[in-house]
Amino acid sequence: MKVIDLVNELDLQVFSGKEGLDNEVSCGYTSDLLSDVMGHAEAGSIWVTIQTHKNVMAIASLKDMPAVIITSGERPGEETVEQSNNENIPVLGTTMRSFEVSGKIYNILAKK
Amino acid sequence: MRPIRADIHIHSVLSPCGSLDMSPAAIISKAIEKGLEMIAISDHNSTLNCNLAVELGKEAGLSVLRGAEVTTAEEVHCLTIFPDENTASAFQKFLNEKIQHIKNVPGKFGYQLVLDRDENIIDEVEYFLPAALTASIDEVEKKVHSLGGLFIPAHIDRPAFSLYSQLGFMPSDLAADAVEVTGKLPEIKFPVIRNSDSHIIDQVGRRYTTYMLNEPTFSELAMAFRSENGRSVISVTP
Repeated sequence: MKVIDLVNELDLQVFSGKEGLDNEVSCGYTSDLLSDVMGHAEAGSIWVTIQTHKNVMAIASLKDMPAVIITSGERPGEETVEQSNNENIPVLGTTMRSFEVSGKIYNILAKK
Repeated sequence: MRPIRADIHIHSVLSPCGSLDMSPAAIISKAIEKGLEMIAISDHNSTLNCNLAVELGKEAGLSVLRGAEVTTAEEVHCLTIFPDENTASAFQKFLNEKIQHIKNVPGKFGYQLVLDRDENIIDEVEYFLPAALTASIDEVEKKVHSLGGLFIPAHIDRPAFSLYSQLGFMPSDLAADAVEVTGKLPEIKFPVIRNSDSHIIDQVGRRYTTYMLNEPTFSELAMAFRSENGRSVISVTP
């Protein structure tokens, strides 16, 4: 499944990294502790978090993540947006809480 | 110039996790007993016990700095230390604007008390002080530096509420004056210090940093972090 499919299905806002909307999503990871994500997220995971710091992008890139979803209506900082565009890793947004959007993604991926 | 021992991370009864015997007076006499020449009071997201501590410190012959341990929006704990009453009070205003008003439950988290010099309770803060501010780590750093203060990510190696736990690694452009470490000393471009992070009275002075300074003051400490005019961070306790 591609990032753009999730954007359409879950009505996600695309903040940045549009070039990466065709990135392939194979699984997901939900966490706000960046040390935890660095240690445990699998490549191909779409990352659900409320963290907006620019280190999010460095870790998304390090872990070969297709996209990041920022939840609860939070918005990425300027530098996060810039890095997202440079790395072609989209930063997406939703007003849903992490629990809700994670559950939806889980179900969508399970059907594939 | 001479070696001066300082512990600039101490919680008072204003922090819910600070024990009830952590009055400014008790902290000061313990610090003197432990051979410290300079301390800072750094409660969670508040400076409200600082002025009293500075005053009592003056009378007792101990240099006390005004500080706060800030919880940034990312939940990174950062020590902030201010040059004087005006700048600390300006920072208190910033804290008041950025704190989330989540009600404290003293029975669960502990009391958050402001004391006077006779140890009467003159105020009890009703919202839970350690909660994350709505300000990001970069915003807090900029505010602290705009006031001439010192910005020091706290216990960066701890598994919770630390720069490494929350942000994974040190952002390359973070303008820290120093970093505080609990465990092993890292290879890092910043001065590395240790402090007690005391919450109970017997912890005061359990860890400290020795600085080469002319006298135990804010401006000398700031110079030590910049290795200016012979001032320096000499060593830290294990």
